[in-house]
Amino acid sequence: MWLAIKLAYRNLIGAGLRTWLNVIVLSFSFVVIIWMKGIMVGWDHQAKTDMANWEIGAGQYWHENYDPYDPFTFSESHNEIPSQLESEIDKGTMTPMLIVQGTIYPQGRMQQVILKGIDPDQNVLKLPSAKLDTAITVLPAFIGQMMARTMKLDVGDRVMVRWRDAHGTFDATEIEIIDIFSSNVPAVESGQVYIPLQSLQQMTGLENRATIFTFSNEVMGRDAVAGLVLKSKSDLTKTVDDMIKTKNSGQSVFYFILILLAMLAIFDTQVLSIFRRQKEIGTYIALGYTRKQVVGLFTVEGAMHAIFAAIVAAAYGIPFLAWQAKIGLTMPVDTSEFGIAIAQTLFPVYSVGLIVTTTLIVLIVTSIVSYFPSRKIAKMNPTEALRGKIQ
Amino acid sequence: MIKFLIKGLLRDKSRSRIPVMVVAIGVMLTVFMHAFVTGYMGDTIEMNARFTHGHLKVMTTAYADEMNQMPNDLALLEVDELKSNLKQMFSDVDWSPRIQFGGLVDVPDANGETRSQGPAFGMALDFLSPESKEAERLNIEKTLVRGTLIKEPQQALLSEKFAQNLGVNPGDEFTLIGSTMNGSMAFYTFKVAGTITFGVEQMDRGALLVDINDAQFALDMDNAAGELIGFLPGGFYDNGLAVEKASEFNEAYANVDDPYAPVMKTLGQQGTMGQYVALVDVWTIYISMVFVFAMALVLWNAGLLGALRRYGEFGIRLAMGEEKRHVFNTLIYEAIVIGVLGSLVGTGFGLLFSWLMQTYGIDMSAMLEGATMMMPSEIKARITPATYYIGFIPGLLSTVIGAALAGFGIYKRKTSQLFKELEA
Amino acid sequence: MKTFTTIVTLFLALAGFAAPDANEILDKVDQNLSSENRVMESTITIHGKRNSRTMTSRSYAVGNEKAFTEYLSPARDAGTKMLKLDDQLWIYSPGTDRTIQISGHMLRQSVMGSDLSYEDMMDDRKLTDMYDAKVLGEEQIDGRNAYLIELTAKTSDIAYHSQKMWVDAERFVPLKQEMYAKSGQLLKRLEMREVAKIGSRWFPKTMIYKDMLKQGDGTEYTVTKIEFDVEIPEYIFSKAALKQ
Repeated sequence: MWLAIKLAYRNLIGAGLRTWLNVIVLSFSFVVIIWMKGIMVGWDHQAKTDMANWEIGAGQYWHENYDPYDPFTFSESHNEIPSQLESEIDKGTMTPMLIVQGTIYPQGRMQQVILKGIDPDQNVLKLPSAKLDTAITVLPAFIGQMMARTMKLDVGDRVMVRWRDAHGTFDATEIEIIDIFSSNVPAVESGQVYIPLQSLQQMTGLENRATIFTFSNEVMGRDAVAGLVLKSKSDLTKTVDDMIKTKNSGQSVFYFILILLAMLAIFDTQVLSIFRRQKEIGTYIALGYTRKQVVGLFTVEGAMHAIFAAIVAAAYGIPFLAWQAKIGLTMPVDTSEFGIAIAQTLFPVYSVGLIVTTTLIVLIVTSIVSYFPSRKIAKMNPTEALRGKIQ
Repeated sequence: MIKFLIKGLLRDKSRSRIPVMVVAIGVMLTVFMHAFVTGYMGDTIEMNARFTHGHLKVMTTAYADEMNQMPNDLALLEVDELKSNLKQMFSDVDWSPRIQFGGLVDVPDANGETRSQGPAFGMALDFLSPESKEAERLNIEKTLVRGTLIKEPQQALLSEKFAQNLGVNPGDEFTLIGSTMNGSMAFYTFKVAGTITFGVEQMDRGALLVDINDAQFALDMDNAAGELIGFLPGGFYDNGLAVEKASEFNEAYANVDDPYAPVMKTLGQQGTMGQYVALVDVWTIYISMVFVFAMALVLWNAGLLGALRRYGEFGIRLAMGEEKRHVFNTLIYEAIVIGVLGSLVGTGFGLLFSWLMQTYGIDMSAMLEGATMMMPSEIKARITPATYYIGFIPGLLSTVIGAALAGFGIYKRKTSQLFKELEA
Repeated sequence: MKTFTTIVTLFLALAGFAAPDANEILDKVDQNLSSENRVMESTITIHGKRNSRTMTSRSYAVGNEKAFTEYLSPARDAGTKMLKLDDQLWIYSPGTDRTIQISGHMLRQSVMGSDLSYEDMMDDRKLTDMYDAKVLGEEQIDGRNAYLIELTAKTSDIAYHSQKMWVDAERFVPLKQEMYAKSGQLLKRLEMREVAKIGSRWFPKTMIYKDMLKQGDGTEYTVTKIEFDVEIPEYIFSKAALKQ
């Protein structure tokens, strides 16, 4: 076996340019597959990181009645802030949010919105809550870019908001948009208006009450809190998983074709080399090689392309992939409003598992592809082969 | 001369069959890949088109301004006339009226009194006209959980979760309470034909699908519809074509003074779809470029190999007095013949496979188990004009460049050296 | 100084005597508007963005607790009936022969596309039970002297935190009413026109209801025929009557 490998190595190196062309094509498949998979993993990370940063933190407690898809439940989904959570809130690792249904009247048109009361001092989410800490005559509020666009609102605009307090009494006030943020997370932008938590609590008569509690550090085995439901990060990011799953399934076809392409090159080379090297094959057999051994030799030769390719891929792929991971892949268009968490710039993330499996798959497939044309050798007549007669 | 070369190619199988095959396979892969990438990348666009945007959408100006509010009071009137005008103007576009509406689904007990109730998000489409492709377009058959599609008037489809919450089953009746186009109260009785699942929480909570005629009757929207959506021939969105049609229509119909005059918007002009269309275009080009590049390497390699292994032959030919230039030229001509032939065959097969995948698609649902998104589980290819020529870039160009590179060796080496390679 | 204070106090007391107490005014208003029972026909005109439409209805009411309304026109709405018993509301639609209970969040929806919600219709408590009333002064409304009364909520479960009401000083009929949010923001305005003498009462035959935050021309409500204190058979206020 060792001899076969050594021979194969010599043969390949000896073939010069031909070998290297194949190796380059194959290495290209390597790099592209790892790169694209890396982007998918990066997207997954990014989407989840964005969600964590803007929406869900490391997880949330929800009021048991809270149902984000049914705003009618909001009026019955708030709790007195539980004493159990107070220490975490004081530490700043948890932030309560009160969620209330409201109506906004931009240019006299009536639109349903969700009013979210957020603590201006919170640091759990990236929302620009600190900007709410300002002294203006009307209620300060910030909204997301998507919302600003659909409502045709801009920073500095004032708009009327109406809501009902805990008893159903109407109340209305003017708010001023003091900031517009852009987050890549549509779930925190569409149809939502953020105002100071205390103001919302006072406005609605829901002092010291909140709907959801977002925490910033994941603590294993969090305690159950009466009246609240614990939502872990993985519960809350399931849609991202689903989306990545769908994207991956489509991309696998792409990988398949990419590998097929590299294999075409290998196959082509193998067929040609067997065709051209009949004399050599005859010689091997004359020297006492069994046919099986010769087939083995040619298979190893073919498969070795994959190993060379891995090395070449490493040579230019590592710098390329590292560079990509550093600068990221920037979308040429504004991606902020696609309804899915997708960042303007995606940073690929590569895992050892990803690299090892890609290498193994390419190696195995290359071996198989190398083996098939080589089988022809077994059918050759050694004397004819020795004479170089085309069979 | 060409005849002679072709004869030579045909008689020497190793010079013809294998290279043509390799080029053909390579070109086929490129062509198929291009169609696949275009289809795959455009999937999200098509899904949006089918569900909400259409490739083209006609609404009143006022409706367009408040699209997210489902303002049926601002709906299009005299839709049949408008539709037939549209048919005349754009005979190749398939037009369908749709109404989106909100309402309350109320399930009666034995005495006809309220047993259960729930808010519904309704969509009315043309289920019953024989020429309508709407049910097929939304792939409703695939999403059916229980029961059947809408086959007769006064039938409705509810999302499975909604039906369970209400406690209704196929065959049961319920009343829709909504508001008519004029704001009056609307009541209408439907029979549950079947239940469907979308995989999107929001839709699964309260989706209600009914036939357009029932909705028009129920909501007092006789010959009216919120929107008329159009689908381009071939069923794929083509931004350029769509923009052209929309501006033609708007030139003829749009009226700044009348907020209820119809306007046509392309998918790209609705909401943020424009950016998405741009993104997909750019990505499709990126991926195709990467692929064409890889393919070019392979075929270049093949062309080079094919020529390299004939150095011995060149040696003989040179020894026999053929000029280097002539040997090189014949090599290039051969490469062109192989390239053209391979590209033709490859494009043919590539198109065939692309067409198969465009028509039937690959069912990816096995890979999507556990996913709850309303993503198409079927991946379809899409043939565009580029699909027809993209294969020739690597197929012809790379083969020729490969051969040319190898051919330079003829100039570099001495005749004796080339002759010797015959022995190797 | 002391004398001065005394005079001021005396003057204020006299002034207090001159203007009637707010609750008294509201009582008088009640005498005009409320009745043991009544039967009336009315038209309601709703101004939409695109067109306006008019509906007519006949309704029977006993006190504020029981009400039964049947829509007479247009043809599409004819036969639709509504029954209100205390805090419950049912709607009957003849087309589907269904009796549907409207409850919970549905009550906050607008009635037939108007600027009124079911909830607005449903509140049957007396103003004096819900609000503390105070006379702010006198103003002219459409050439008539009116007391301006401020109503401030005394219970919390109420749609409008405060209201202003202009009551005709002579006839004791409200001429204008404004509903305010807790913040003081004006939310809705009600204007009464065509005050007419019906039997021993003064009654505003037209009311214009307008949501002040929203664009639009509001909803116009006109009583075309009204009878007070007539015998209304008890079965009218039953769900069985809806189906007839």
